[in-house]
Amino acid sequence: MNRIVSALLGGALACAISSVGPYAQEYHEAPALAAEVAAGELPPVEERLPDQPEVIAPYRELGTYGGAIRFGLRGSSDHNHILRLVGPQGLVRWDPAFTDVVPNLAESYEVNADATEFTFHLRAGLKWSDGEPFTADDVMFNVNDLLLNADFAPTPPRYMAGGEPLAAEKIDEQTVRFTFKEPAGSFLYDLAMPLGQHPVFYAKHYCSQYHPAYNADVQSLVTQSGAADWQSLFRQQCGDIEIPARWGNPDRPTMDPWIVSSPYTGGATQVTLERNPYFWQVDTDGNQLPYIDRLTADVSQDVESLILAIIGGNIDFGLRHIDSISNRPVLAENQERGNYHMFAANPGGGQYMTIDLNLTHKDPELRALFNQKDFRIALSLGMNRQEIIDTVLLGQSEPWQLGDFPGSPYYNEQLSTQYLEFDPDQANALLDKLGYERGADGIRTLPSGRKISFKIDVIPTNTPDHVDILGLIEAQWRAIGVEMKVNPLERSFFFDRITVANDHDAAVWPNNGSALVNYPTKLVPLHQDSRWAIAWMQWYESRGANGEEPPQEIKDRLALWEKIRATAVPAEREALYAELNQRAADAFEVLGVAKSITTYGIVNNDLVNVPDEMANSWEWPTPAPVLPQTWFYKTH
Amino acid sequence: MLISYVIRRIIWAVPFLFAASLVAFALITLPPGDYVTTLAQTLAESGDQVDQARLAALRARYGLDQPFIIQYFMWIGGVLQGDFGMSFEWNQPVAQLIWERLGLSFILEFSTLIFAWGVALPVGIYSAVRKYSAGDYVVSVIGFLGLALPNFLIALVLMYVAVVHFGVDVTGLFSPQYRDAPWSWDKFVNLLQHLWIPVIILGTSATAGLMRIMRANLLDELNKPYVVTARAKGLSEWKLILKYPVRLALNPFVSTIGWAFPQLISGAVITAYVLSLPTAGPLMLQALLAQDMYLAGAFILLLCCFSIIGMLVSDILLALVDPRIRFR
Amino acid sequence: MTTIADPRTIDMRTDAQASQWRLTWRAFRRHRLAVVSLVIVLLFYVVGAFAEFFAPFDPETTSSRHIYHPPQAIHFIDWQADGSWSIRPHVESMVVKRDPISLSATYEADPARKIYLSLFGQGQPYTMWGIFQADRHLLAAADPADRFYLLGTDRLGRDVLSRVIHGSRVSMSIGLLGVSISLVIGVLLGGISGYYGGFVDTAVQRVVELILSLPTIPIWLGLSAALPQEWSPLTRYFAITVILSLIGWTELARVVRGRFLSLRMEDFVIAARLDGGSQGRVIFRHMLPSMASHIIASVTLAIPAMIIAETALSFIGLGLTPPIISWGVLLKEAQNIRSIAQAPWLFAPGVAVCIAVLALNFLGDGLRDAADPYSNEKQ
Repeated sequence: MNRIVSALLGGALACAISSVGPYAQEYHEAPALAAEVAAGELPPVEERLPDQPEVIAPYRELGTYGGAIRFGLRGSSDHNHILRLVGPQGLVRWDPAFTDVVPNLAESYEVNADATEFTFHLRAGLKWSDGEPFTADDVMFNVNDLLLNADFAPTPPRYMAGGEPLAAEKIDEQTVRFTFKEPAGSFLYDLAMPLGQHPVFYAKHYCSQYHPAYNADVQSLVTQSGAADWQSLFRQQCGDIEIPARWGNPDRPTMDPWIVSSPYTGGATQVTLERNPYFWQVDTDGNQLPYIDRLTADVSQDVESLILAIIGGNIDFGLRHIDSISNRPVLAENQERGNYHMFAANPGGGQYMTIDLNLTHKDPELRALFNQKDFRIALSLGMNRQEIIDTVLLGQSEPWQLGDFPGSPYYNEQLSTQYLEFDPDQANALLDKLGYERGADGIRTLPSGRKISFKIDVIPTNTPDHVDILGLIEAQWRAIGVEMKVNPLERSFFFDRITVANDHDAAVWPNNGSALVNYPTKLVPLHQDSRWAIAWMQWYESRGANGEEPPQEIKDRLALWEKIRATAVPAEREALYAELNQRAADAFEVLGVAKSITTYGIVNNDLVNVPDEMANSWEWPTPAPVLPQTWFYKTH
Repeated sequence: MLISYVIRRIIWAVPFLFAASLVAFALITLPPGDYVTTLAQTLAESGDQVDQARLAALRARYGLDQPFIIQYFMWIGGVLQGDFGMSFEWNQPVAQLIWERLGLSFILEFSTLIFAWGVALPVGIYSAVRKYSAGDYVVSVIGFLGLALPNFLIALVLMYVAVVHFGVDVTGLFSPQYRDAPWSWDKFVNLLQHLWIPVIILGTSATAGLMRIMRANLLDELNKPYVVTARAKGLSEWKLILKYPVRLALNPFVSTIGWAFPQLISGAVITAYVLSLPTAGPLMLQALLAQDMYLAGAFILLLCCFSIIGMLVSDILLALVDPRIRFR
Repeated sequence: MTTIADPRTIDMRTDAQASQWRLTWRAFRRHRLAVVSLVIVLLFYVVGAFAEFFAPFDPETTSSRHIYHPPQAIHFIDWQADGSWSIRPHVESMVVKRDPISLSATYEADPARKIYLSLFGQGQPYTMWGIFQADRHLLAAADPADRFYLLGTDRLGRDVLSRVIHGSRVSMSIGLLGVSISLVIGVLLGGISGYYGGFVDTAVQRVVELILSLPTIPIWLGLSAALPQEWSPLTRYFAITVILSLIGWTELARVVRGRFLSLRMEDFVIAARLDGGSQGRVIFRHMLPSMASHIIASVTLAIPAMIIAETALSFIGLGLTPPIISWGVLLKEAQNIRSIAQAPWLFAPGVAVCIAVLALNFLGDGLRDAADPYSNEKQ
């Protein structure tokens, strides 16, 4: 994990990871493309590739062309599933091991010593999927006309440091430089993540026709299309990073290995992506990637039909939606029938479920109760985590509070393992000491005579396992005299009640992923996932305009977090994070139940170059960084 | 008389549609949050981080920060000019999305309706005439089983059996190669090959209900004095039953046509969802759950139109079938 | 087949004093299947009412060693190793083996270990209706520490039989309560609409149209939003039942109205009216009974529809959700490939629904025949 942070600084270090030297060689292409070249419909492969294409050494062996990868899409909001296979083709990308940032569309980059200047050298001769050249002008269009254009959308915080957005500067046709006012320690990470594609997302020559700065008559296009304004039209035609319309227009040029031919629209029942003839990577033999001709996906509504499609052998790669622990026995048992095997997807850190007691509760009595550290300790000791794991998670996890797993530079033993033991006697002793006497029904009462009783909100359609876990905890806490009621909510009610209204007593949510890329929402109130301190989060997010001013300890931690964001030197960053971890460990605000579990996806037995284990993450959009463009079919 | 009645009904429909659209719009906005929060939730549930500033901008762009009544007039104003607006989720015109799906919905629901009536009428008559015969019990039990088991459960079991024991995929309405193909004879045949599964699944519960109602109503008629008289006059048994009692027993059937029309969209949403049918139902469910307001609003408006037409047709048929009914 | 009653066969002497109710009851008793159905229906309600006693275990008690435990058969003859035997009901204990990769569990019978059962034995303590403390169960293991599963267990090792029994309480009452409300509103408004016609008819029919045209899902979403989130799930359940029936009356109303439209010009209605019968009397005494068959048929059809509607709503996270136990909730939990493939016993609540529905409908048939003054069926 240390290498990633060193990669942040040493630009020189990061230059040549997988780009094997610039030796002259012959390039090869897929038979279908060769036929088009012969028919004069397409320029020869040498002209389609950049001057020095990125050379990729496939994971196991060199491949052959042909075939389709079939995957399963759901009917609603599943656009990121396509992204995960196609990959966010940004300036940089994650390496397959999730330890380093490597160059992607940029051939190399340099970062100055205090992480305020980032210079990117684009590969010379890169072409969009329609054959038009990709140059620094495209980057300038993306940054100046869209990213920094408040009229289009507010600038995302990733592109800001010290409250000011970055400035972009074109050095030459192949070189751009981004300058920040203050150090942007996480900027390279951010660029490698799916949401970091902004500087290279839109093709200027195509998308500028929908932009008023380039097309004075854009209004007539708006009227013609029925869109409300140019921004809507622009998104409809050119998409955006995270909306379905990104896959809705087959004419939009991209830098992706496959481009949409049957779009993902509201009425779609099937989505198809065909190979990009101008894709800019080759294998070590000079074969243009991707090997696979096309990606196809049936659109189904129900997860169960995805499972059936897998059992029936109609899916070649699947992880998203299907990897819940309850599906595993069925998927494992039908491997032979469906001609697939399973691969492990490792979350890297985090919790299967966290319990956030509302420390900023509107009800003063419950607020006072929840803010007692001893009360929270008693709840933690009153939980039989091993029983929960054995019953609901089939023994596939271990008791865990918060934080990264051992081996990560962000691991803190106290934060992760304090108060994990099941000790109802000590829990009772703590509650007795706090003065909460048991009433006639065995439930303890507050000094006012009110029962200690609260609800935990959960979304059953989203995380059915959590309802089961809470059912077990309900009985366990009753034994120590605390009444907890499971409160299943439809999801819009859940979000309204918590994030908007702060009306909840407590809530549960999964918290997968490593502190390497995740926001520490359970340590600092900075995001809607910080359900333990919504009022403080609102105060922070609105810079003091809304919500409630947090105590000094929380303010200190917020300041610490901002410092971490700005720090680029690995050792300093880790030291600051260690302090944050320690402060949160001492405060013990959020209860963890069990470690995030390794889940399993399925892959066709004939599909080669798919690793047996990979990370499972959104920031490292599984499986894109292991390069599906290098997968191919081999009949055994 | 009938014509003036129809005209009066159509005039009635105008204020009704306005009221219905207002109620519909209010219902869509009643649940907390809006499309943008739904978007954020969906992404968060997939493990994706959401950009707060961008969400705020989206909300302003869609006018979701406006009061309810202003949003309503913005929408209905467009509808009056034939513009149903854009779907938030898909960035596509609502009209295009709906029409894409409506055709298949019609085919599916009409087939189901024909199946249900085609089975329920004769079987219902049979089980009334041969009351308490072995045949009556058998069809009753089968009918009730169809009624008592949720459709989507039958659908899932059928899908599982088809995949695991026969290696056939029964989801959807077309084989993969025909999904994006233009209409052709082969595609139509392919549709028929897939159609019978959802038709039977959806038809089971409808058939059971109609069958029992037919049976009950026919029993009411069969014992009436006029039947006894007719029989005494020596009319042949089947001719007698079909000519009068069955015709009168159809009355409740005809009343149900009224809601067969809106069922074209809203019926069997969850079954269609499980079977991944490309019909309007799942799209509407999705629009409602995602609070994609213009899309959902258009669906509900369409439903209101259908039910007005359906009720009207059913009232006219009621008068035609049953000579005792007169409209004033 | 229908034959004409011969007046001479009717015994005028005994029936002369019999009330309408006794006549009906006498006719009903002749319908054997209906009587059996009545017994079954009553049994369902009794079991539902005393669920804690009839269920062998607490429906929420989980067991990590018994996940997806298959059903065990009761053996009555207890063979000993030496060949002797006695009559002593028991089940064979089963041992779990879990595959470390697929995580699927296989259970093997362990004939050496038997779990003996006893009637009215001691088991988990419970509080009936929140009042009585007791620990006797209809069927219990002789050793209270043992567990036995006549219908298997679910994903958390909970006893399916106990869950089905507890589910009958909610499901049988949601159906009954909901249908009663729908029935009253539907018949009242449908009747008024059809009897008076004209403006009243138009007004009522427009309301029906509006309700019928609105798809139920937005109504649900909207109304659930209106219900206070502070309510307990059970309170919300009752509110939801009422709401379900507030929507459900429309179909009945429309059919009743259709029949009234055709009946109001019938000779017997006109005669009754000319006779000076009050409107209420004409409607309830003369017109309604003539459509008793239809009303009974739709009521008996509406109860399963109610039970299933609740299931469908749980499907999208509205309606009843765990920890409430109902047949709908249980079926929703079984609605996945894993249950079909590996734990088909989870569909036991579906069987319960089927039995309840069949019993209710045959009961309805019997009632219809008994109430029909023209009917002269002899079973």
